[in-house]
Amino acid sequence: MTDVTRKLFITGLAAIALGLGSSVAFAQSAAKPGAKAPDFSVVDVDGKLQKLSDYAGKTVILEWTNHDCPYVRKHYNSATMQTLQKDMAKDGIVWLSVISSPAGEQGHVDAAKAKELTRTRDAAPASILLDPKSQLARAYGAQTTPHMYIIDAKGTLAYAGAIDDKPSSSASSLTGAKSYVRQAVAELKAGKAVSEPATKAYGCVVKYAPVS
Amino acid sequence: MIATSLPRRTAFRLLQRATMALALLAPAPLLAAESAPVTSARVTATLLSSRDAVAPGERFQVALTQKLAPGWHSYWQNPGDSGEATKIDWTLPEGVSAGAIQWPTPKAIRVEPLVNFGFEDHVLLPVEISVPANAKPGETLTLSAKATWLVCEKICIPEEGAFTLDLPIAATGAIDAAAQARIDDAIAALPKPAGFTAKLTAKGEDKLALTLSGLPAGASDVRFFPVLDTLIEHAAEQPLANGALTLARSTAFKVGTPTTEGVLIFAEGGAKRALALSAEVEPALLQAVAAPEQAPAKVTLPPPPAEDLTLLLALVFAFAGGLILNLMPCVLPVLFIKALGFAQVAQASRGEVRRQGLLFLAGVLATFFVLASLVIALGAGWGFQLQSPPLVILLAVLMTLIGFNLIGAFEIGGRLQGVGDGLASRGGPVGAFMTGALAVVVATPCTAPFMGAAMGYALTQPPAAALSIFMALALGFAAPVVALSFAPGLLRLLPKPGRWMIILKQAFAFPMFATAIWLVWVATMQAGADGALAALVAILVAGFALWLIGVTRGSGRGLRAVAAAAALLLVGAASAFVIESATPSARPTAQAGTDAPGVWSPARVAELQAQGKPVFVNFTAAWCITCLANDRVALSRQEVKDAFAKLGVAYLKADWTNRNAEIAATLAEYGRAGVPLYLVYPGSKGAQAEVLPQLLTPETVVSAAQRAAGKEVKTATAR
Repeated sequence: MTDVTRKLFITGLAAIALGLGSSVAFAQSAAKPGAKAPDFSVVDVDGKLQKLSDYAGKTVILEWTNHDCPYVRKHYNSATMQTLQKDMAKDGIVWLSVISSPAGEQGHVDAAKAKELTRTRDAAPASILLDPKSQLARAYGAQTTPHMYIIDAKGTLAYAGAIDDKPSSSASSLTGAKSYVRQAVAELKAGKAVSEPATKAYGCVVKYAPVS
Repeated sequence: MIATSLPRRTAFRLLQRATMALALLAPAPLLAAESAPVTSARVTATLLSSRDAVAPGERFQVALTQKLAPGWHSYWQNPGDSGEATKIDWTLPEGVSAGAIQWPTPKAIRVEPLVNFGFEDHVLLPVEISVPANAKPGETLTLSAKATWLVCEKICIPEEGAFTLDLPIAATGAIDAAAQARIDDAIAALPKPAGFTAKLTAKGEDKLALTLSGLPAGASDVRFFPVLDTLIEHAAEQPLANGALTLARSTAFKVGTPTTEGVLIFAEGGAKRALALSAEVEPALLQAVAAPEQAPAKVTLPPPPAEDLTLLLALVFAFAGGLILNLMPCVLPVLFIKALGFAQVAQASRGEVRRQGLLFLAGVLATFFVLASLVIALGAGWGFQLQSPPLVILLAVLMTLIGFNLIGAFEIGGRLQGVGDGLASRGGPVGAFMTGALAVVVATPCTAPFMGAAMGYALTQPPAAALSIFMALALGFAAPVVALSFAPGLLRLLPKPGRWMIILKQAFAFPMFATAIWLVWVATMQAGADGALAALVAILVAGFALWLIGVTRGSGRGLRAVAAAAALLLVGAASAFVIESATPSARPTAQAGTDAPGVWSPARVAELQAQGKPVFVNFTAAWCITCLANDRVALSRQEVKDAFAKLGVAYLKADWTNRNAEIAATLAEYGRAGVPLYLVYPGSKGAQAEVLPQLLTPETVVSAAQRAAGKEVKTATAR
C-alpha cells in the first residue's frame, strides 16, 4: 500500500470519525466507584490550596456538609460525625469536609464561620474545603448533605454514597445504623475490596450555585 | 314498673341503638371525619376519613392530607436525588389493619442540577383501613397515626404530626359524602395499571433500556419514575426511541428483585396519563448486584461494557463502514475500473449500465450474505478468514493475478472473466456479479473502524438483526458503484475513453502488488518462513498455470486439454503443499525490539496491576490494517514510548493474527468482534480499564496513560 493512499485513507477516516463523534453527545456523569476519583484543587478555610494529588498514598474522605441541614444536624448533634472523624484521623485518613452552598443559600459560610463551627461542634476534619461555586460538587456529582466519598491510597474512588443505612433525620434512627463509611474503611484496611462501593445518599439537597 | 321488669342488658342495648340513631342523624361536625389539623408555616396536614361511621368487616379509605405553602414540596415514595418520603406509623385497635400509602403520581421538581420527586400545593395520600368482622357496633374505632414528612423549598424541614380519628362502629357504615368525594378524586387520579409488563435491560455499561410494549403510539413527554432509588440517575434525560426509554444507570445501581415498579407518565392527545408500571428485570442486571460478595478480584470487574449502540445506529455505522471500504487501496482499483467500464458501455446503452450496477449489487450482497452467515453460524470474529494461512495465501495469489492482469501481462478469458476482463465490464452479467463478489473478497482484510463497533454489536444480536447489520454494510459498500450506474451524468464527467485508461489501469496494478506483499508478510507472521515459501510458491504456480493456458489458447484441442490438465495438476499439488506447510506457528508473534511489548494474558494484567503498574494492552493482528496504521502513527512513536517509560506503564500485546480463544473472549467482553482494541488499566488492583478509540493519536495514548498513572492534574475548576 502506498504511503500517500494510506495517509489519505487515514485522513478520510479521521474526518468521518470527527463528524460522527461530534454528533453523539455524552452526558457527564457523577464520579463512579472503581474509577479514578476526579482530582481537585480547592481553597480551604486557611486559604491553602488543597489538591487531591497531594494526598497520594493516603485514604481521603470527602464529607459534603451543610450545618443547617436536619440530616447533618442529626449526625453532629449526636456527636456521631465527630467520633467518626476522630476515629478516621487515628487511622491516618485525611478527612475533608466540603461546603458547596453558594452565598445566600443555606449552609453557606465564610472561612471564619466554618472554623467556628468546627470549634463549637468539636469536629475533627483535617480541613474544610470552600466550594461556593459548587464546582467540586459537580465534579463528584454530590447530591445530598451528608454525601460521603472515600478515595483510596491509589486515588481510586472506593466508596460513594450514604453515611449509614438509615435514611432519616430523626436521632432515634442512629441506634443500630450500619455505617457504610466504617465498613468501607475497614475493608480497605484489610486489603479487601469494598463490598458495598455505591449506595444511595440521603439528606438535604446540595444547594448548587448556578453554572456561571 | 315495666322498666324495672326489663332485664338491664336489654335496656342498655336499646339505649345504645337510640344513641346510634341519633348519631346518624346528627350534623357532620359532631363526627370526626377529619382530624384536627397539624400546622406549620409550610404545611397544614390532617387525617381524613371517607366514613362517618364504619361497619364491621368493611374496608374504607382514609387519607393523610398535606396542604403545602407555595414553593414547598413533600416527597414521593422515591424522593429522587435527595429528600425523604412521607411515612405513616399507625396505632390501631386489635384486628384493624392499615394498608400501604397509595402513592399519587409524583411531579419531577427540578433543583438544578438535581431533581426531586414529590408533591406541591396539595396532596392526599390514601390508605385503606380494614375493620374486622367481629368489631362491635356501638363501640368506637380509634385510628391513631403518627406521620413524619420532610418538606423542602431549597432548605428542608422535617415535620411530624399525630392524628387521631374516632369513628363509631355501626351495623351499617355512614359515608361522609364530602370526604368520600375528595378521597375518590385522589384515588381516581392514581396511576392506572399499565396492562402490560415493561422490560428493563442493560444498555451498555451505564445505561438501561426500558422497553414499553404497550405505550400508545401517540404518546409524548414520556417519563419513568422508579420506586427503587438505586435504579437510575433521576435527573438524566430519558430519550424515547423505538418504544423504549433510555435511562442512565444509577452510580449506586442495585436491583434485588426480578421485577421492579414505577410510574410512567406521558401525554396522549393533550391529556396527561399516568400508569403504574411493572418491569421485568434482565437477569444479568440482578447478578450485577449478587456478585460483589466474595473474591475481591471479581468485585471490581467491569460490567459488560458492550458498545452502546442501538440497532438503527449500528445500521448507520455499518453503512458508513461499507462506504469507507471503497477507499481501501486493494478495492479502489477494482471499483474504479468497473466505473470506467460503465463509461464505455454507457455510450451504447444506459439500460445495460443500470443492469450491471444491479448485478454488481447482487454480487456484493450475496458474498456478504455468505460471509456473514459463516461469521454468525461459527460465532467467529470478523477477520477470522485471515486467521487461516492458506486463505491468506489464496488472497495473496488473487491480488497478484489481478495485478498482472491490470498491467496487461495476460488476459483471462472464458469462465474466469469476472476476475479479468469483467473488470472492464465487457464480461456481461456473470462478470458484473463476479466483480461484486471479488470486491468483497479483496475488501475483507480491511476492517474499517466503524465496522468494528457495528460488527461487535451485530454479533451480540439475534441472527436476524446481525444479518441486517452485515447487509447494511454490504449496501454501503455497493452504494458508490450502484449510484454511478444510475447517474450517467456522473459518468460524463470522466474524460473520453482512450489511452489514459490503459495507463491508469496499469498504475492500479501496483496497489494490488503492495497488498499481495502485505498478505505474504501476514502469512510469514502466521506460519514463519514456511509460510512465506508457501505463499511465493503458490503465486508462482498460479502464474505458471495461467500462462500455460494462455499460451496454448490458439492451439489444437488436444494440446489445450493437456495444458489444462497440467495446470490443474500443478494447482492441486501447490494447494496441498500450501495447506501442508502453512500451519500457524505456536510461537508468539510479538516482534522483538528494544522496547518489545510483553505478551498479554489476563493473569499478567492482574499481576501488573497488583504491583501498582498501569497497563496498556494492544489487541492487534498482522492482517488488521487499522491496527498497523495505529502502530505507525501512534504506538511506535518516540513520544509514546517515552511517556510509557516515564509513567511506568507496562505495554502488553495481544496478538490475534492466529486464532486465540482467550483474546476472542476478551474482545467479546468489550463488545468487539475484532481488533483493534486498546485498553488502559490503572495501576490498582482490579481497577477498570479505559477503552481507547479505534483510531489512535499519540496524544490520546499519552493522556490515557497519564490518567491511568494518576498523573493528570485536573482541577475541579477546570471542569
